[in-house]
Amino acid sequence: MTDQEIEKQIREYFEENYELLRLEGGHALTEAGKQDAFYQVLYYWKKLKDIANKVTETEVKLSLPNQETTKGRKFSIEGVVDIVREENETWMYDIKTHDPDYVNTHKELYEKQLNIYAHIWHKLRGNPLDYTAIIATTLPAGLRNAIQTNNERQKEFELNKWKPVIEIPFVEKHIENTINDFKKVVDNIEDKKFAPPPLKVLQEKMEGSNTRFATRVCRNCDSRFSCTSYQEYVQSLGSKSFAAFKKYFNDFGEDTDQEQWIEANLENAPPPETVEPIT
Amino acid sequence: MSLPKIEELWELKKFSPNPNQKEAILHSEGPLFLSAGPGSGKTRVLLWRTLNLIVFHNVKPEEIFLSTFTEKAAHQLKEGLRSLLGLVSNYTNQSYDLSKMALGTVHSICNQIITDRRFTDGHRVPPPVLMDELKQYFYLYRRNFWEDLIKSGGYEKEEDANKEINDYLSNYPSSSRHNAVQNIISIFNRFSEECLVPASIKTNDKVLKKILKMYQYYLTGLNGKIRKVDFAILQQCAFDTIQSSVTASNVYKHVIIDEYQDTNHIQEKLFFSLAKGNKNITIVGDDDQALYRFRGATVENLVEFENRCKQFLGIKPQKIDLSHNYRSRKKIVSVYSSFMDKTNWQRKRPEKGYYRILKNLVAINNDTKPSVIVSSYSKSPEVYAEIAQLVKEMKESGKIEDYNQIAFLFPTLKSRSRVDGLREALGRLDIRVYAPRAGRFLEIEEAMAIWGLLSKIFGRPKYTEYFSQGLRDYSNWISECRRFADTIIANDSQLKSFIQDKKEELSLVTEDFEILAGVLKRKKWNLTDSFKMEMLRDLLKPSSLSNKAKKNLQSEFFNKAVELRETQGKPFKIINILNRATSVDWSILDLFYQLNAFTHFKEMYSMAETGEDEGPICNLGLITQYLARYMEEVSAVITGTFLSDDKFVNSFFGSFTYALYRLGESEYEDADDPFPKGRVPFLTIHQAKGLEFPVVVLGSIFKKDRGPRKNEIIIRDLLKKEGEPLDRMNEFDNMRMFYVALSRAKNLLVLPHYKGGSAAIEPFKELFEENKFTLIEDFDLTTLPEAILDEEDLGKSYSYTGDYLNYNKCPRNYMIFNKYGFVPSRSQTMFFGSLVHKTIEDLHHLLIQERKKIAS
Repeated sequence: MTDQEIEKQIREYFEENYELLRLEGGHALTEAGKQDAFYQVLYYWKKLKDIANKVTETEVKLSLPNQETTKGRKFSIEGVVDIVREENETWMYDIKTHDPDYVNTHKELYEKQLNIYAHIWHKLRGNPLDYTAIIATTLPAGLRNAIQTNNERQKEFELNKWKPVIEIPFVEKHIENTINDFKKVVDNIEDKKFAPPPLKVLQEKMEGSNTRFATRVCRNCDSRFSCTSYQEYVQSLGSKSFAAFKKYFNDFGEDTDQEQWIEANLENAPPPETVEPIT
Repeated sequence: MSLPKIEELWELKKFSPNPNQKEAILHSEGPLFLSAGPGSGKTRVLLWRTLNLIVFHNVKPEEIFLSTFTEKAAHQLKEGLRSLLGLVSNYTNQSYDLSKMALGTVHSICNQIITDRRFTDGHRVPPPVLMDELKQYFYLYRRNFWEDLIKSGGYEKEEDANKEINDYLSNYPSSSRHNAVQNIISIFNRFSEECLVPASIKTNDKVLKKILKMYQYYLTGLNGKIRKVDFAILQQCAFDTIQSSVTASNVYKHVIIDEYQDTNHIQEKLFFSLAKGNKNITIVGDDDQALYRFRGATVENLVEFENRCKQFLGIKPQKIDLSHNYRSRKKIVSVYSSFMDKTNWQRKRPEKGYYRILKNLVAINNDTKPSVIVSSYSKSPEVYAEIAQLVKEMKESGKIEDYNQIAFLFPTLKSRSRVDGLREALGRLDIRVYAPRAGRFLEIEEAMAIWGLLSKIFGRPKYTEYFSQGLRDYSNWISECRRFADTIIANDSQLKSFIQDKKEELSLVTEDFEILAGVLKRKKWNLTDSFKMEMLRDLLKPSSLSNKAKKNLQSEFFNKAVELRETQGKPFKIINILNRATSVDWSILDLFYQLNAFTHFKEMYSMAETGEDEGPICNLGLITQYLARYMEEVSAVITGTFLSDDKFVNSFFGSFTYALYRLGESEYEDADDPFPKGRVPFLTIHQAKGLEFPVVVLGSIFKKDRGPRKNEIIIRDLLKKEGEPLDRMNEFDNMRMFYVALSRAKNLLVLPHYKGGSAAIEPFKELFEENKFTLIEDFDLTTLPEAILDEEDLGKSYSYTGDYLNYNKCPRNYMIFNKYGFVPSRSQTMFFGSLVHKTIEDLHHLLIQERKKIAS
């Protein structure tokens, strides 16, 4: 197949998957969101043809069985990755729809995860990995701009500049720590400890970023209204008046988000026919 | 270290299989028929046999097809297998990857087969969209579809169609579309399971002819651009995949099916076609425990297996009986064995044998003390009180640790007199009952609170006349919800003001719509006309139009969208513009999450966050699923257009919720197990399938013989099938159902001996006459063994990203969306991620495929 044919194929797969997911979940993506998703796939292909062409196993499910928590609960750890195998080398990629800058500034988070996966792989298949990396598919702002303005030279330039493959070194010592931490989480889940993080966490800026936890995590959480910590956070911002409380109810994100939400769903608005109750 | 012998592994797990179990575990080639009685350790045998194949016969997990009856059973098998294989890994240092093993319900494996590249020569086949039962119901129920459907059958008026269909399929000429749709779904599903091709059927039956035409229309409709399937057709779809694949019969080296007595015709075809190559088909089951004929299952699949196997694969299977019972005390086993002999199972021509596989069950337990006891022969209320008292004494004497170790089993929870009688008798002794799905979901408190508050905001449908008792009940239910909402509002001034705000918002957009509709009228524009930018001036003219509507119409974002549509040559219609101008900012699901912020609901979250009580939050999660379903089926946005003329109210309350109300909840769902502590579980016998309890009480030992279902008669006639005689079918099924109930008990089985009509079916009466059962009042509690809690921890799987990372981000968010399955109203991240990953996965497969082509 030529590159062009493959691009055409990507478009077809994408539209089909979109329809299926929409029908399954009953949700629509906004036009902009959908476009974004498509570009992530398309530019993954344009930028990383070499890797994509060498993938030997895709969406491989990894599982580390027979773990036991401190409270004696048995469990296993699971993850999904892509594998490239060449003559004597095996590479593992974890494709994420994250921002490469974020990945770079939070490398140890990803290290923990990929090191565990590498460990499972090694146990499962016997042969160690030679290289593990995150592929972060969020397009940099410059590239997005170039695409939008359809500036070919700029696109070329930005595409070259973009570094979506971020190598993650293997650190043996992480593994035990991570598994121990994982054990705690399993015990917490089974012991039904589900309190939200305290107000202090919501007020703090997220590591390596300029946004607060409350903005980045809570505002994207549909159940924030009934959350004690979030209510405290809103009240801590200033006015404790009832009017302020009401306002926070109507906070569905930025104006543009709101417009996009309506736009995305208007297509499915009901037809103007009359509706009779069924008798 | 090297691989140990399997016997060493057994020793390690303290398992000493009996000779038949051993033979079954070590069997590795050719067809096998495992006839497994109650409590015969068949799950263990299945586990070890699969392990034997993987470890000692080098069968790869992905070469094994292993289907079970429920997802839960599949999950348990998978975790059990993982744990045993882990044991082996400790010796060999080799891990086993179970992620690609076909282990699940037949339906879930069918779903896998359709997209499995091993069947499609490496090509990508997009999966069909699966309609679950509720979706299938709404698909048919929608007025437009239903009208077209009956037209395809040759009907002109809906009322005539409904009456005729209902009369034909359920002997009652009701004009209700709801009933007609349910009847039609039931027969359509049966047609699909029997692989019936409507065009090839010849019949002189006029009504049936019409129904067959409608079925054809239904089938055609599912094959749109994106293929839709219901559960029954999903299996056909998988069968087609297998039929059109040259490699299909060799994909699985072993095909293993558990609970074979409850499989249907299309499944049988599927299993044999998959096993054609290697001929390694193993079936496990017990014809005496067949329960699901009403869903199209045919116990004949199991009873006739030896012949069918010979017919399809050319070999007779080896048959191994697992007839040692490890579950129950001796008397219990002998009582349920003799119960089955109370019916004559002999075929019309005795030389042809029996409609049942004859068995010789042996109890391992040697305790011959009384373990089946009976109430006094009294009127119902006295029996109820007597049993309740026994329950209390068992708890007080420490014979049971918790009330959840005593199960009350009923043929149905819908016939209320026995259920309520026993519940009240227990209640008088302060013993609480857990009865999942004994009533409607909509009648639980959380649902009534939400629907009540929604109705306070949106209003309620107005009925001028009640055409049925069902409608009257429903209308009363709405009133009750509203009264409940009133009490919640009365205690919460903030909630009161919130509701007032929402109502004002709604009336504002409704007014805006009317104003804009006025413009349309003056201008003689139609709602379906194409919108042109120059129309905007006229629409914005009325001074009474709200600022919000004006803002909506003038927003830059909106103008861009209009322009884009124009350049694409598919301009908006005026209705789109009106919707845009008059939409509120929230959906019904948004409203749900907002309402949850008020004290009444917030407390439920608090209780769940500390693990104190998870009941209410589970129910709230279910509510989000129903609300999301409405948005999916009807509309996500609420607009002035939609609100006008009570359209929204009639659609949400008058149609959608009413349908939910009438559908109720299925009694045949799996109940959650383990059962909540501190309560006595009341279950249908169907829900108790596969479970066991230290003590079992039969709440009712009567079920009317209603004769064969119409579906059975139709199918028998159309397909000229042989099978159990129609006039005995119901009797046989009732025997099997009570057999399942009797065989759930480990230590004690309690039977009620009611006086009066509809007290017991004949076989029970005979049992009472023949046996001198110990009476409850004479029963020596000290002889009852103490119930031991023997939960084996099989472990669970946790995903690094889905569980670990999400929990670390916010435990509360994890609880709500991952654990209790709330449907998010806004969050797009999940959809976005799945879409990108799925498409990249497809791209990778395409590239792998391309490389293979070049290489060859």
